[in-house]
Amino acid sequence: MYGWRGRIGLLVPSINTTMETEFWRIAPEGVSIHVARIAGGRHGTPEELRSMEEASKHAASEVAMVEPDVVVYGCTSGSFFEGPAWNQRICDQLTAISKAPTVTTAGAMVACLAAGGHKKVDVVTPYVELTNERLKQFLKLQGIDTVKLGTFDMLDMFDHAKIQPEEIYRKVLDITTPASEAVFVACTQLRALEVLDMLERDLGKPVYSAVQASAWQAYEALGIDPKIQNCGSLLRKLSAPEQRKSERMTLRRSV
Amino acid sequence: MARIGLLVPSSNTTIEPEFYRALPPGVTLHTARLFLTQITPESILGMVENLEQQSRLLASADVDVIVLGATAPSFLKGMGYDKELIAKIEAATGKPATTTSTALIEAIRHFGASRVVMGAAYDDKVNAIARAFLEANGVTVLDAQGLGYVDNLAVGRLAADTAYDLAKRIDRPEAEAIVLACTNWKTMEVIERLERDLGKPVITTSQASVWAALRIIGGMPDVRGCGRLLRDIGAVRVATLST
Repeated sequence: MYGWRGRIGLLVPSINTTMETEFWRIAPEGVSIHVARIAGGRHGTPEELRSMEEASKHAASEVAMVEPDVVVYGCTSGSFFEGPAWNQRICDQLTAISKAPTVTTAGAMVACLAAGGHKKVDVVTPYVELTNERLKQFLKLQGIDTVKLGTFDMLDMFDHAKIQPEEIYRKVLDITTPASEAVFVACTQLRALEVLDMLERDLGKPVYSAVQASAWQAYEALGIDPKIQNCGSLLRKLSAPEQRKSERMTLRRSV
Repeated sequence: MARIGLLVPSSNTTIEPEFYRALPPGVTLHTARLFLTQITPESILGMVENLEQQSRLLASADVDVIVLGATAPSFLKGMGYDKELIAKIEAATGKPATTTSTALIEAIRHFGASRVVMGAAYDDKVNAIARAFLEANGVTVLDAQGLGYVDNLAVGRLAADTAYDLAKRIDRPEAEAIVLACTNWKTMEVIERLERDLGKPVITTSQASVWAALRIIGGMPDVRGCGRLLRDIGAVRVATLST
């Protein structure tokens, strides 16, 4: 059977073209990705983002039928927009439907920043102002200060995928402040994964992305070392034997 | 760069990995799911109800083609049913569409085969419908044998050697090609070996679905390791250019 080592049920906003591509690109032998789409609009308005909670349940019931070992709710704004309790509720609901532990991108974002011990971060997003304010609030409520936020300021979520990796690289370099301990690139539609390694080398601090953080928590939940060497320090940590067990136990409790 | 939109039965665990295995660089896959647990006529008809809505979700990702990657659901009501479903998807989305059954017929014609043998994961009931669909489309089915599965998830658990074994068992000299049906049945990795061992084209439903999607997109290089059908894609183009 495909996915004999682990099957990931991946829920993506219907307009998203980046996340399933990147999840497949890094999937190791024996891991398969099974996608269901979350119905919604393409402009990321508050109404659209709130409606994803209901629509994601439908997608979870579809992907439940492959008997996934973990479910990933792959949207950053769709999990932080209404705050930490909302994110947790989405997580609990999808787990109840799919019978698998659920990772949300917003949850993975906070988990990876907390695991790194970061309290002050710079953030890059493609979002408009209202969504950016909600993101800062979400982080603040969980003890993380946003030092600087840089945005591509684009309403159309489909078009976020057209932003080239080199533009993301440039944006991160342009906005990063000496005061930040790490950088987080939000939005699973942004093609950040392939420039994370370069950014970490050139900046000398951890740089995380939405797709990467989601994958990290998914592989933690699966208990699999995917041996991903070129997508940033976070995913490489999954292959550091001495750290793995203790971190995995921490995550198992929170998932 | 091109994007393929794939509609899969919700319980299918095989077709997404098999598509990924075969895609040329620059082509990405985007999936939506249709509810299906049992490969029975009743269960399949329910699945089709959701077709237009899920097709629209794929269209919102601006895919270049939509493939209904399910065999039984696209032949269930016989000759022409696949074309009805294509019309439904195209009307709902404005995107070109195809189905696995359509692709299968086109692939058989591509090889100019009029007599085939068919192996499938299905039970006798669905197998008989599959056979009737091929024959209505002008293909003589010399023998059709199924493994008897109704539970779709169980089909996904079958190892690819079950496809190899069944193909070898049903082959006969008069057959011009071998058809292996069901997109949840692992077949991609045994196609090349079967073609070498039996000396004739082997067409599987996942392989034909990839092929049909790439042909609609056009301008594709040949794909290695997935049988003659996909290897021919680039060759056909070269032949066209040289004439």
